[in-house]
Amino acid sequence: MAAELHLRIVTPDRVIVDRKVAAVSFQGVDGSYGILPHHAPLMTAISAAGSARITELDGSKVELFVSDGFAQMHHNVLTLVCEAGEMAHEIDLARVKAAEAKAREKLAHLDKLSEEFLKAEASLRKALAREMLVRRGSGTGDIA
Amino acid sequence: MANLKELRGRIKSVAGIAQITRAMEMVASMKLRKVQAKAMSFHPYTEELRGVIERLAAKVGEPSGSPWFRVTPPKTTGVLLITSDRGLCGSYNANMFKAMQALAAEVRAVDPDRKLKFWCYGRKGYSWLVRRGYEVERFFVEPALDKLDFRAAKMVVDELSKAFLEGRVDNIRVYHTRFQSMIRFEPASPRFLPVMNRDFVTVEANRAAQEAASALPDLDYLVEPDPAVVFEALLPRYLETVVYDAMLQSVASEHASRRMAMKSATDAAVRMNKGLKKIYNRARQENITKELLDIVGGASAVS
Repeated sequence: MAAELHLRIVTPDRVIVDRKVAAVSFQGVDGSYGILPHHAPLMTAISAAGSARITELDGSKVELFVSDGFAQMHHNVLTLVCEAGEMAHEIDLARVKAAEAKAREKLAHLDKLSEEFLKAEASLRKALAREMLVRRGSGTGDIA
Repeated sequence: MANLKELRGRIKSVAGIAQITRAMEMVASMKLRKVQAKAMSFHPYTEELRGVIERLAAKVGEPSGSPWFRVTPPKTTGVLLITSDRGLCGSYNANMFKAMQALAAEVRAVDPDRKLKFWCYGRKGYSWLVRRGYEVERFFVEPALDKLDFRAAKMVVDELSKAFLEGRVDNIRVYHTRFQSMIRFEPASPRFLPVMNRDFVTVEANRAAQEAASALPDLDYLVEPDPAVVFEALLPRYLETVVYDAMLQSVASEHASRRMAMKSATDAAVRMNKGLKKIYNRARQENITKELLDIVGGASAVS
């Protein structure tokens, strides 16, 4: 067995992941991060709507949606603290579609400088990120 | 006879009340358990977030430019008041109102010009404030306290921090009920904004001691893009956990308080029922004796 790191993904509702994995990649605010075991201590913000990909110890890959949070690497423990997080297979596509339609409709007739516009844009981004995950299915394709 | 009938009616109604209060007690304990489960699953998130922010705070120091830390002479105090939507929960709301009155008196004593602005969660608190003519900025009804989730806290924080950053209020307190145990809960009013660095220091000191004791040294972090930016982005998240925690504790206290109130109501009803039954039986016995005497008296008069 190769090197491993401990991954914890924590949201307000529950702890989604708490186990040893081989590698993790996710999107930070300033680009993609790939974390391998024994990465140097690191702290960064996660992009508002992104995905994370976990490489399990057996080499298989799992993807999940994470948003609005922080990543911290410390003593070989990577903690992703985020406001929302779902495994790819947990995402309810119908709900995501509804959210997307709502956001698009809002964007169509809102003032481009208003705060609501930004909010709608953010929720559209999240909906699209979730959709992309579902489309791709778990463990295939690259993180765009 | 009229007396007996009346007694029967009363016994029946008291038994009915006991049944209802017992049901309410059970509902309250179930809800309490649910809220506690919610609080438990929320705990890791708070812990992690606090850990991160404490480490960063130590690194960033007192960010003088940050609007979150801005301290100005208080002219308008904002209050987030968390109470229940429903009554019949003992002194839960009354205690909160007492604390509110104390605050109003204190503000009036210190500086009559200082204004109070209120944000409300919970119908009881809202109607209390309105009845007394206070200015309520916003009354949150959605989502209901029973269906409380993290998004509610997010919404409240959005609103409060906007008011603070725009300077409409220059400090904010959260009035909520702290849940200490199943039988102990009391009003608390922690400062919410401005943020002060000492909020993070006490625990940081403990942690430092802990970490010194553990074998692993606390390494220097790579913080990207840079500590101040991350810290700034992290603060709203932290504030959300503070509010969510206050809400969860309040709701837990509400249910615990209702459970206790309903328990004592049930006990009282059962006791009362026992007493009434005793009186009823005695009256019934007396009636029978009287009737027997009448019959015996009648019979001896005939013979």
